Amino acid sequence: MKQDLIYFLPELIVSITVLFLFLLDCFIGKRSRRIFPVIAFIGIAAMMLANKSSSPLPSARFFSDMMVFDHVSVLFKYIFGLAGLIAIVIANGSHELEKVDKANYFTLLTALVLGMMLLANAHHFLMIYLSLEMVSLLSYILTGSLQGSRRSSEASLKYVIYGGVASGIMAYGISILYGLTGSMTLTGVAEFLRMNAVSKTALYTSVLMIMAGFGFKVASVPFHMWCPDVYEGAPTPFTAFLSVGPKAAGFAVLLRFFFGALSQTTTSGIEPIKIIGLPALLGGLSIATMTLGNLAALQQKSMKRLLAYSSIAHAGYMLLALVALNAEAVTGVIFYLSVYLLMNLGAFLVLIIVGDQLGSEDISVFQGLSKRGPFAALLSIVMTVFMFSLTGIPPMAGFIGKFYLFGSVIKSGHYTLAVIGMLNSVVSLYYYIRVVKIMYFDEPVDGRNLTTPMVSHASTVFALALLTIYLGLFWNGLANIVGQAKLF
Amino acid sequence: MNSYIPLLLLFLFGMILAGAFLALSHLLGPRRKSKDKNASYECGLEPSGNPHDRFSVKFYLVAMLFILFDVEVVFLYPWAVQFKEAIQSGMGSFFFSEMILFMVILFVGLLYVYGRKAIEWE
Amino acid sequence: MISINSYLFVTVLLFCLGLYNVITRSNAVGILMGVELILNAASLNMVAFAHFNGNLVGGGIFALFLIVLAAAEAAVALAIVVSIYRQFGTIDVEEATNLKG
Repeated sequence: MKQDLIYFLPELIVSITVLFLFLLDCFIGKRSRRIFPVIAFIGIAAMMLANKSSSPLPSARFFSDMMVFDHVSVLFKYIFGLAGLIAIVIANGSHELEKVDKANYFTLLTALVLGMMLLANAHHFLMIYLSLEMVSLLSYILTGSLQGSRRSSEASLKYVIYGGVASGIMAYGISILYGLTGSMTLTGVAEFLRMNAVSKTALYTSVLMIMAGFGFKVASVPFHMWCPDVYEGAPTPFTAFLSVGPKAAGFAVLLRFFFGALSQTTTSGIEPIKIIGLPALLGGLSIATMTLGNLAALQQKSMKRLLAYSSIAHAGYMLLALVALNAEAVTGVIFYLSVYLLMNLGAFLVLIIVGDQLGSEDISVFQGLSKRGPFAALLSIVMTVFMFSLTGIPPMAGFIGKFYLFGSVIKSGHYTLAVIGMLNSVVSLYYYIRVVKIMYFDEPVDGRNLTTPMVSHASTVFALALLTIYLGLFWNGLANIVGQAKLF
Repeated sequence: MNSYIPLLLLFLFGMILAGAFLALSHLLGPRRKSKDKNASYECGLEPSGNPHDRFSVKFYLVAMLFILFDVEVVFLYPWAVQFKEAIQSGMGSFFFSEMILFMVILFVGLLYVYGRKAIEWE
Repeated sequence: MISINSYLFVTVLLFCLGLYNVITRSNAVGILMGVELILNAASLNMVAFAHFNGNLVGGGIFALFLIVLAAAEAAVALAIVVSIYRQFGTIDVEEATNLKG
């Protein structure tokens, strides 16, 4: 067992950081609260270095088949680490978090990164369930962390009730699958389903119930009802992280579940099990998610709710990859998650910068943003980049991401789904471009000019915009790294 | 199945007896209400304070901390059952160190609770 | 010998009662009771399948972890209910309607 520890080194580093932050919290006075984001940043950066040094290790299942290590898990740890680092930078100077206990916030954020890493590498159903619950419980706490705010408490109440029921249903589904196959690991389930025939209804029910838990995490229809309320009520720096981090972790475990447990590797590649109609189920879920996300975002007045519905729609695009179920789908999802991380965090960071100074989070805050001074003009260019990228307009990175995703769907032969996906992208153009139009063609409601925010915020938002454009023009580097990803 | 019938009979008998006592005393007893009999019971003392007073959150904190450390002990039981077998098969020190690591992590939690003064009563 | 069907019937009944509890109640603590019922139904299901599929051990371990997890989730959920009570003065979930939709 000791030789397995080398696979666990990144998680070990983050766990030690979390424990150290907890201990530091008791024994440090009120004045040195500023050290917490620094230590969290150093911990997560150390995790990414350990990740880089452990990437040449061969794929293996370790801790007696509880967890799995392969190239996909290395890539996901990079994604989580980057999301965590940017989230720490965003949260550090935000005005909204003045009322939140900073030490608590950064400790729980680091623990959330740990939970996401455990979720993406889990192989045993118990590990999947426990790490899913760890991510969920920490999200409930951080959603309600804004003290004295009615919206924050209400958002966390809705989140905890919805999440509790979803996780209970998922536990029941896991128990039915365990009863059918007698095995608790993903490869054990795949072995059993390959050799024996099981009852179709029972397998379908159990897959649906397990999808309730995973679908809740990635906010796909019909498990998306918590998403707009929680995104609106939570403090915006945490919403930014929530829209990227746990969603990526949910997609990691979805990939492992559908590629590992519910498909077989035949001579012609991977194909789903034939007993139940998996492509039909997943295709239906994906179409419903995309359509509802895009249609509901068309009439939103609050920017946070608009971004919430847009993240539901993006989850729908990524669910298409599960229908495709080939190697290109895996690389498509990971590529899309990495560019989605950049775009979404950038859009939220612009909203935080503008909202902190103008005091509201409606879309009206963006009215005439380009006319509010030199920094605001730069910021509106940056926001235009992010909005175009989220739609999927070249030459931004979002276009490349959607290209890979729809390409993998077309390669597997589901042409209708790809067409529906592209139509949905066209629909989403309306509400993204509306923000751009408001920024450039409307007059600002009052005459205040934007002042320059903190150096960290400004430099991060410009770096994210530059990366989005760069990845839109020269995507080969990232595509090569992601293209080697193979699920073990 | 036959061995459960006496249990069912015992259950039914107990319910019928208790129900009969309650019903008979309600129907046959005298009805005299008095102010003292209708007051709420507080261990024989005079009732003091509003029943819907604001109570402090420290009750919740103490109860929750008890639950959390109690379920830590729940984890100790299956470990203890397997520990003797593990010693005999040579992995004793590994088992022991794993459980010590688990308890150290929860001990850090206890130190955190102590440092944030959540277990002080006043 | 009791077959597995009686156990499965009990767990399905518990699951449906828990789900009904969550959907119908307006008291926040009552909804959490429903969530606990659902989790316990899953736990009993695990143990039943472990016993009848040849004395496997994985189901019992999962049930043990579900007990711990239900306790942790109750702790977090009740803390959130306390925070709701501080903000709204009641724990009726019908009252929490600030966020539309």
